[in-house]
Amino acid sequence: MAAQAHILLLLAWHFALLSLFAVGGGVSMLIPQLHQEFVLQYRLLDERSFTELLAVSQAAPGPNFLLIPLIGFRVASWPGAAVSMVAFLVFPVTITFFIGRLLHQHENEWIARFRRGFRPVTGGLWIASGIVVAIATDHTLVPIALTIGIAVLALAIDISPLWWCVAAGVVGAVLA
Amino acid sequence: MLIGPISSGFTVGVTRADCITSGAYGANVSDSPKPSLLDLALGFMNIGLTSVGGAGGPLRYVIVKQRRWLSEGQFAELYGIAQALPGATAVNYAVMLSDRFAGPLGPLAALAGLIIPSLLLAIALAGIASQLAAVNARFAAAEIGVTAAVAGIFVSNGIRLIAQIWRGTPDVRVAWRAARLAISALGVVLVAGLHMFIPFAMLVLISLSMIVETRLRGVANEA
Repeated sequence: MAAQAHILLLLAWHFALLSLFAVGGGVSMLIPQLHQEFVLQYRLLDERSFTELLAVSQAAPGPNFLLIPLIGFRVASWPGAAVSMVAFLVFPVTITFFIGRLLHQHENEWIARFRRGFRPVTGGLWIASGIVVAIATDHTLVPIALTIGIAVLALAIDISPLWWCVAAGVVGAVLA
Repeated sequence: MLIGPISSGFTVGVTRADCITSGAYGANVSDSPKPSLLDLALGFMNIGLTSVGGAGGPLRYVIVKQRRWLSEGQFAELYGIAQALPGATAVNYAVMLSDRFAGPLGPLAALAGLIIPSLLLAIALAGIASQLAAVNARFAAAEIGVTAAVAGIFVSNGIRLIAQIWRGTPDVRVAWRAARLAISALGVVLVAGLHMFIPFAMLVLISLSMIVETRLRGVANEA
C-alpha cells in the first residue's frame, strides 16, 4: 500500500514537471527523459514494455501524449493512468486557459518570435528521441535497417506515419 | 468513421462572431449557432479517435471543414498559440477553443471527448499487444519493427523541420542560418549523446535560440 502510494506520487511529480517542457514538439521530445527515468533510473518498466507502449501510442488512434497515461497504467493500473493523466494536464491546461483569454485581446508578436526560436530546438530533440529509441530497440539487423530505411524514405515520401508503422510491423513479422 | 455534424438545437441569438471578437478573428466568421457542450465533446472525440501520428490534420478537418467552427485563418492562428504553450497541442487547442465557445465548462467537455475514448482504446490495445507478444514470437518481432519505424519517423521529422528552417529564410545570411543549425545539433549531442536532463537542456537551447532570433531581428532592421 505504501509502495503503491509512493509510485503514484512519483508518477504525479515527474509528469507534472515534464508537462511544462512539452513545448513545440509534444511528448516525442520527452522520450529520452521518460526512458532515462522509468527504465534506467527507477526500473519501473523494462526496455520491452517501454518500446511496446511507445509503439502503441504512435500506431493506435489518439493523441500521442497518451503515452503518458499508458505508462501510468502499466506501472500502477487504473490509479496510475488517472494520476499520470491529471498530473500531465493540470499545469498546461491551467496556463493555456488563462493565457488563451489574455492573448485573445492582444497582438501575438512575442508568441511568433518564441515559436520561431523553438523550431531548431524541436528539430534537434526529435532527432535525439529517434536515436534514443533506436538504441533501446534496434539490437539486430532487421530493426536497424528498418529505422535507417524509414528515416530516409519518410523524408522523400510524406505520408501518415501510420503506414510506416504498418509496413515495418509486417516486415518485422515476416523476417522473424 | 467520422461522426457527422450534430445540430445543437441551442440557439440564443449569439453567433460565433460574438464569441471571437479580436481584430484578427473579426473577419470571415459564419453565423451558424455556437456549439453546445455536447457538440464540443463529440467534435473532439472525433478528433481524438482519428488522430494517428499527430492531431494537426484531424483538428483542422473537424474544426474547419466538417463542423465549420472556424475559418482556415482563425484555425491557423489559434494552432500557433496552442503549439507555443506547454502541453500537448491538441489539448491546448481544445481548451482555448471551447472556452471561447462555451465558457469554463467547455474545456471539461472537450477534453473528456478528446481523451477518454482514445485512452480506453489505447489501454485495451496495449494490453492485447503485451499478451500477444508474450506468446507469439512473430507478433513480438512485428512490435519491434513498429518501434524501429517510430525511431526512423522521429529522425526524419527532425531532419525535415531543420531543412524547412534552413530553406525558409533564404534572405538571412548563411552564418545566422548555420547558428540555428548548430542549436539543433547541440540538442542532439546534449540529449542523445550526453543524456542531459531534458528540461535543463531545453532551457540552454531555447536561451541560445532566442539570442539568435533577437540578433537576427536586429540585423534585419539595420539592413
